[in-house]
Amino acid sequence: MVATIQLDAAQHARKRVRSRRQREFARHLALGLIAFILVAPFYYVLLASLKDSTEIFSYPPKLLPIPLYLGNYRDLLWDTGFLRWMFNTLFVATSVTVIKVFLDSMAGFALAKIDFTGKRIVFMLMLILLMVPIGALIVPLWSLVSTLGLINTYLALILPPLANPLGAILMRQFILGLPRDLENAARLDGLSEFAIYWRIVLPLIKPGLVVLAVITFTDQFMSFTWPLIATTSDELQVLTVGIAALRAHGGANYGLWSASAIMSLVPIGIFFFVLQRQFLARSLAGALKQ
Amino acid sequence: MTSTDAYKGPAIELIEVAKHYGKTMVLDGVNLDIAPGEFIALLGPSGCGKSTLLKLIAGLDELSAGEIHIAGRLANYLKPSDRDVAMVFQNYALYPHMTVAENLGFPLKMGGVDRDVVRGKVEAAASLLQLSAQLDRFPDQLSGGQRQRVALGRAIVREPYVFLMDEPLSNLDALLRVEMRTELVRLHKRVGRTTIYVTHDQVEAMTMANRIVLMKSGVIQQVGTPAEIYAMPANIFVATFVGSPPMNLFSGRIENEGGRLLFRGPFELAVPPGFTPGPVTIGIRPEHVALCNGGEKSSLAAMIDAVERVGPDSYLRTTTAQGIALTARVEGSAKAREGDQIAVRFPLAHLRLFDAAGNRVPMGEES
Repeated sequence: MVATIQLDAAQHARKRVRSRRQREFARHLALGLIAFILVAPFYYVLLASLKDSTEIFSYPPKLLPIPLYLGNYRDLLWDTGFLRWMFNTLFVATSVTVIKVFLDSMAGFALAKIDFTGKRIVFMLMLILLMVPIGALIVPLWSLVSTLGLINTYLALILPPLANPLGAILMRQFILGLPRDLENAARLDGLSEFAIYWRIVLPLIKPGLVVLAVITFTDQFMSFTWPLIATTSDELQVLTVGIAALRAHGGANYGLWSASAIMSLVPIGIFFFVLQRQFLARSLAGALKQ
Repeated sequence: MTSTDAYKGPAIELIEVAKHYGKTMVLDGVNLDIAPGEFIALLGPSGCGKSTLLKLIAGLDELSAGEIHIAGRLANYLKPSDRDVAMVFQNYALYPHMTVAENLGFPLKMGGVDRDVVRGKVEAAASLLQLSAQLDRFPDQLSGGQRQRVALGRAIVREPYVFLMDEPLSNLDALLRVEMRTELVRLHKRVGRTTIYVTHDQVEAMTMANRIVLMKSGVIQQVGTPAEIYAMPANIFVATFVGSPPMNLFSGRIENEGGRLLFRGPFELAVPPGFTPGPVTIGIRPEHVALCNGGEKSSLAAMIDAVERVGPDSYLRTTTAQGIALTARVEGSAKAREGDQIAVRFPLAHLRLFDAAGNRVPMGEES
């Protein structure tokens, strides 16, 4: 009797283990499929960038770049303005990000913590501005920048994105979450309003600053329409515009295009890699600690 | 020694202080003198304006009217950091990105104090508050009591003329609160600085303060020592807010019967001459309600609804024959039970009389 019960228990345990393994297998299969769908196009582009143009459309397609062909990268780096475009893009994106994070966090501080006449109206206007599509702004913006004589200058690429109110609104929300007593304590400690912002508020909203930096940097890195309109000089072309021009003028060179796509991902990959630890660490600290 | 130490007048003088937000009046004509070295408790229910008053003294909010003098100086237009006050906040307000040592030294650093002096003062404060082992920790690595001590230490290192404390113990558990209460009183005696302590907890106010300022709806109801406030409440609000359980109250009228003044209500009582006949309220603390055999004119029959045993004492929650709730304190060993019929009487010396407006009218008890 005891032996039969033990046998049943063992059978049940085996059944449970089998069913769990099946579920695990199905889950991994689904995850693998999703990963494949996400990675496959990227891998295809990477593969194309490492193949000779005659190899790219060979049939059956090769899953490994053998023989390895680096000519596309050589052509991209030395025969096109890629390095210049990259410099322009990084210069503009970094400048906009640094200035915007600084200005928006200050604006957010003012909106969240300082009482001034017309604060509500200013905030409402910012919200309304957020709803205006970029297409509606391009012509007046171009006209303004042109009148100021800034067309074909770095300032034409750097100044207009600074006026986007999203960052200030985002910062306001972050800063609103800080207890009022912290500023009061700082005031009693003799800090000026700017010192409160700089020494107390900024260190405490680091996760917010990182979020804003990531959004701004990627937005600027990918920006196409405005740089296309605001600059006509080859010297000031950014990556997106340069690569588009490459396609327009360089013929159907898929290997070169793929290499440009891969190379343009390098800096943004590095940017994410550098910031992700800070971003994740701070987010978790905020989420788990009181 | 700071320049304010030489001053001998009131440490803080509030003259007709008022604060309103739009049409909402938060403080209305507050007048108060606080002596140097005094420990004053601002006591009152939530929303009575006690924290607002503290912020006005600290300079963290603007006055709508009136004057605040600190050490004889008009402080209305002084910046918070120029008022020579330090404040301990309810939620501690420690800088989360700084260590305990940095938190303690920050006010001095901002004041341009020499680094070695800052270190010395931080170590002294840490030693006083038993925080020496925690100096390198961040606030989120400390217990509630330790955080509270850091907040206190941050105020102490500044050696201010006045300490302002905004419900500093309300976030601690009951046991720690009692411990910290004693510690704060000891600290006050040691440091000897004027302290204004905001609380809604009457036990804190009664046990810690030299004087209590009881507030309601932005108006001071009474200023006095804990004993005065308890024994001689200025009005019905004070009588019921201070004391747990609160004072028993009975509504009635004073009537003139052939030249004799009589209180007529749930019971009858001869009152001394000098009162104007009309509606009044009589009050008595639960510990002064005396059990008796009944039959006397001024006694009341009551039935025990519940017996609350709190160790050395028991509270009898009763309802009188007239349907009025009455609480009496008896010895903890008393054999009273729920449902028992008892009779109570009220010794004249312990009765407090309040007029129709709720203000206490002296019955000769002060003499």
